[in-house]
Amino acid sequence: MSVNESLKIIPLQVEGVGLVAQIVFDMKDSSANKLSTPIMLRLRELLQEVDRNTNYKAVIINSKKPKIFIAGADIDEIRSMTSPDQFREAVGQGQSIFNMIEDLKIPVFASIHGACAGGGCELILACDYRIASDDSATRIGLPETQLGILPGFGGCVRLPRLVGLQAALDIILAGKLVNAKKAQKMGLIDRMVHVNLLSDQTIKFVQDVFKEGPHKRRQTFKPKGFVNVLLEGPLKTVVFSQARKQTLKATSGHYPSPLKALQVIQKTFKSSNRERSLEIEKNAFCEVAVTDISKNLIHVYDLTEMVKKQNGVPGVQVTAKEIKALGILGAGTMGGGVAYVAADKGIRVRIKDLNPEALGKAFKHAHDLWFKLMKKRVLDKFQFSQKINLISGGTDYADFKNLDIVIEAIVEDMGIKQKVIAETAAHMRPDAIIATNTSSLSVTEMSKGHPRPEYFAGMHFFNPVHKMPLVEVIRGEKTSDETISTIYELSKKMGKMPVVVKDGPGFLVNRLLLPYMAEAAFLLQEGMSIEVVDQAYVKEFGMPMGPFALMDEVGLDVCIKVLKIFKKAFGDRVELAPCMEALEKSGRLGKKNKKGFYHYDEKDYRGEVDQSIYQALNLTTPTNLISNQECIERGVFAMINECARALKDDQIVATPNEVDLAMIMGTGFPPFRGGLTKYADKVTISYVVQQLEKYSSQKNASKRLAPAPALKNLKAFYI
Amino acid sequence: MSARDVVIIDGTRTPFAKSGTALKKIHPAELGKVALRELIAKTNLDVSQVDEVIIGNTGNPVDSVNIARVVALNAGILQKTSAYTVHRNCASALESISNGYEKIKSGTMDVVIAGGTENMSQMPTLLPPKIQKTFDELFAAKATAKKLALIWQLFKGDLKQIKAILSGNFRDEYFPVISVMQGLTDPFAGINMGQTAEIIAKEFNISRLEQDEFALKSHQKAVAAIKSGRIKDEIVSFPMPPDFKTTLTEDTGPRDGQTIEALSKLKPFFDKLTGTITAGNSCPITDGAAVLLMMSRERAQSLGYKPLARIRGYAFAGLEPERMGLGPVYSTPVALKRAGLLMKDIGLVELNEAFAAQVIGCMKAFDSNEFAQKKLGLGSKVGTLDPNMVNVNGGAIAIGHPVGATGTRIVVTLMKEMKKRNIQFGLATLCIGGGQGGSIVLEQEA
Repeated sequence: MSVNESLKIIPLQVEGVGLVAQIVFDMKDSSANKLSTPIMLRLRELLQEVDRNTNYKAVIINSKKPKIFIAGADIDEIRSMTSPDQFREAVGQGQSIFNMIEDLKIPVFASIHGACAGGGCELILACDYRIASDDSATRIGLPETQLGILPGFGGCVRLPRLVGLQAALDIILAGKLVNAKKAQKMGLIDRMVHVNLLSDQTIKFVQDVFKEGPHKRRQTFKPKGFVNVLLEGPLKTVVFSQARKQTLKATSGHYPSPLKALQVIQKTFKSSNRERSLEIEKNAFCEVAVTDISKNLIHVYDLTEMVKKQNGVPGVQVTAKEIKALGILGAGTMGGGVAYVAADKGIRVRIKDLNPEALGKAFKHAHDLWFKLMKKRVLDKFQFSQKINLISGGTDYADFKNLDIVIEAIVEDMGIKQKVIAETAAHMRPDAIIATNTSSLSVTEMSKGHPRPEYFAGMHFFNPVHKMPLVEVIRGEKTSDETISTIYELSKKMGKMPVVVKDGPGFLVNRLLLPYMAEAAFLLQEGMSIEVVDQAYVKEFGMPMGPFALMDEVGLDVCIKVLKIFKKAFGDRVELAPCMEALEKSGRLGKKNKKGFYHYDEKDYRGEVDQSIYQALNLTTPTNLISNQECIERGVFAMINECARALKDDQIVATPNEVDLAMIMGTGFPPFRGGLTKYADKVTISYVVQQLEKYSSQKNASKRLAPAPALKNLKAFYI
Repeated sequence: MSARDVVIIDGTRTPFAKSGTALKKIHPAELGKVALRELIAKTNLDVSQVDEVIIGNTGNPVDSVNIARVVALNAGILQKTSAYTVHRNCASALESISNGYEKIKSGTMDVVIAGGTENMSQMPTLLPPKIQKTFDELFAAKATAKKLALIWQLFKGDLKQIKAILSGNFRDEYFPVISVMQGLTDPFAGINMGQTAEIIAKEFNISRLEQDEFALKSHQKAVAAIKSGRIKDEIVSFPMPPDFKTTLTEDTGPRDGQTIEALSKLKPFFDKLTGTITAGNSCPITDGAAVLLMMSRERAQSLGYKPLARIRGYAFAGLEPERMGLGPVYSTPVALKRAGLLMKDIGLVELNEAFAAQVIGCMKAFDSNEFAQKKLGLGSKVGTLDPNMVNVNGGAIAIGHPVGATGTRIVVTLMKEMKKRNIQFGLATLCIGGGQGGSIVLEQEA
């Protein structure tokens, strides 16, 4: 039986101790150990056996996998469960099995190397002693809240007891994993050793414990320092209210699971009644696990896992080329941002810009970001200077023969770009790639500047590059699979989420965003105020910023320019509100010249709405007569409408998965909604069509808001 | 032509800046990194080809004791490639080239990076030995009473140190040890480098005016070279951390509008009564780095490089430490002999300007049969040097002399100028504190 092979006892005779039961996790047909139901049942069986056989003096739990201890519960199982009863049964069973570990009469040692997450972490919490390798693969924590659930196998109860309230909240509420060094510092593990010594040192640990008599222990956290003694005891309510405030701020109230976890911890902290505490945890778990939010967050998790496994060209076996040195043309905001992200991941970067001052600015951008990390002690001064050393630059093509790829981020002008690409290609090796970071020009057209267009593609980053995870990888007509795959893998190496898209106006994300921004301008025209619209999107819908703030970020001139390009490409369905025409002439460029819909301070932080803008755009004082629901629906449904065209008519991307991933990673579309198409399916396509029809007739907007045939023909995006 | 000819592909350097100015905060390893990083870029060098990195340095910064390795790794040289630091005082960066030459010539290696880096601004000031001794004892002390006694002693020592600093008496045993000053004092003869130049000035009857005029010319030639952009191709521009706002693109030492009047007003620094050596006719203490890429001819060919020059021969020679400034006169005939050439074959010379008096002294000694017979054991003079072919783009008096880097700087300047003027043979030579001379003879590659 495979489950018997995946988890078994290997008895071990230890000097000074006697017989030790090694429970070894080594899942067959999988690189990861997961706590699926069969494995949990098998674990129970083994624990019963250990309990029965009085020859055993101690238990060691370890894993045979090179990078993973136990990755957590089986997400496939969680995904398949829908009713509270299913969850109740599974969680109750898990809790009772981990209780068995805690209740064994002999001491249990966890010997940890590799990822120890979620249920894996809850398992080691139920053990008496923990030893871990100091390897970078060893990461311990409880990421459940990231998936919209909470630790349900006793994690909410046992972690605060072991590491204290403050450290536990830090891990559970943010869904964090920590490395071995941190884990040891907070008391989550007792000992830390080199991976090669782990098994010997685990045995030594058992022997050391037995020297003082074979005892179980229930480690409880002892706060250090007067302030911590207060905060972990009499003043714990301060910690709870502080944590609540921070969580509310971080989640804008859209993510219930961290708050639920907080409640559980508040109710169970320092309680001596284990059964009651676990019951509270179980109830809370079942409450959040059945929500759409959890399902949606698991969907987003699946999407990111999908990217990890793919190579950018489905069904094609192709080897991506290794990128060791990367060049950048144009040391502007985007060029500088890409330089930072690449060098941060250990890729050598060479920037070319005709203007030495621009080069200096790009160097400074990277320098300052790393400097901040050094101040926060994320980097030490040696790591800091190693990163700094990876970026160099010049005003000529020096070094270009050594570069594996060059990313072009110069002025958005087809003629100039084609010329520069031809010139650059002449200075590079024939097998090197050039990628354009254009946001609005045709990649296929641009590739005509390259003597070998198969080595040319789009690599579209989003601003600010170090914060926005999305990269659109744009395939030109002649781009080779190898080039696409190389850029896809490079994006991943740079810590980004790549989505391969077909060439076309605005590619995917900008194409979907533009109708949304254009619609916001119509809302403004119809008497809505900037703050009401933006707040509706942020507070009610969950966007990181509203459309007006977004337009300021992108640059108002850019928005209008791109809208006009779209008008040319898509015809009448792209409409500019009269206030946009006025905006064009107003000299307001948004954040970059600190004049837009909002005020900006000297550090470029967004302030209040600039109230003078209404007059500047020939608008009357806002009346705010349109409901928040309509504001949101008109913008979001316009995006869904365009999405149907992009996906079904033009096949810009292959599946709705890519749309959802791109919108979440590129625009901050609320992850708890699962992405644009997931959301559309939730409210149902027929409702979207019905509302679009209503708005288009009411607002005399038949051109821009009428539902597209592609949308009307659709039952749902996900079938 | 032979496969084992040692050729120089290209070279580059940072701008040089007077100590305590533009580059004072940049670590010498960082200066070296910038120069080397740009050399790699400029030559599109595949770093996996590099066999060795050899860097000259005299300051020996305590946090980078083998600074060559730090420079190499920071600049992107692979970890598998070895690197070491050499120290031959003022000729350290010529020593690095000669090391590379031997390794390539012998067939041991094919690709070597040689150079030098120095930040004289950052040479440390050390505790006076008396105080340091107390300090060491305090570290070792165990008993509290002993510790307290030593702390009290340290405190008293500090007061004495402050007194010594205020009195300005360098010889006071409580005066802190200033590394730069120590480095410029000959440990054998016990005199300062400036005083060695005073000896030459007096023995060769070199007047103050002669020296000041030489210094003026050095500035004029250097300023002209900067203005015409003639030496732009040997300097890398350098946006300076941490704000990267200013890009240093040229040497800061050469003074436009330098006048003989201004120079003649300066007081002699080393001999107040009868001296002629001033801060104006000596080279300033300077920060900077220079590197070059050398290969065997066969490797250069297989990689498709067109070298700038080939090394025909080099030599180092010794003389009286108190006349160290005449070093070039001793090493040059040996280098010429090894190159199979005579002084009359040489069309361009870089003779490092430690002091105007010392350069003028060298020119006189080169041209003297008597000197050749008495001092060099030669039948007749080494040869006449036409002043118009010496230091045509100015010298260290204007540009500066970062001790560990100059050797490479003059070789880079020489080979690039040889190319521009189409000169077949060139000589780079410098005097070395401690009583040595170093010379290298180059042939332009067609």
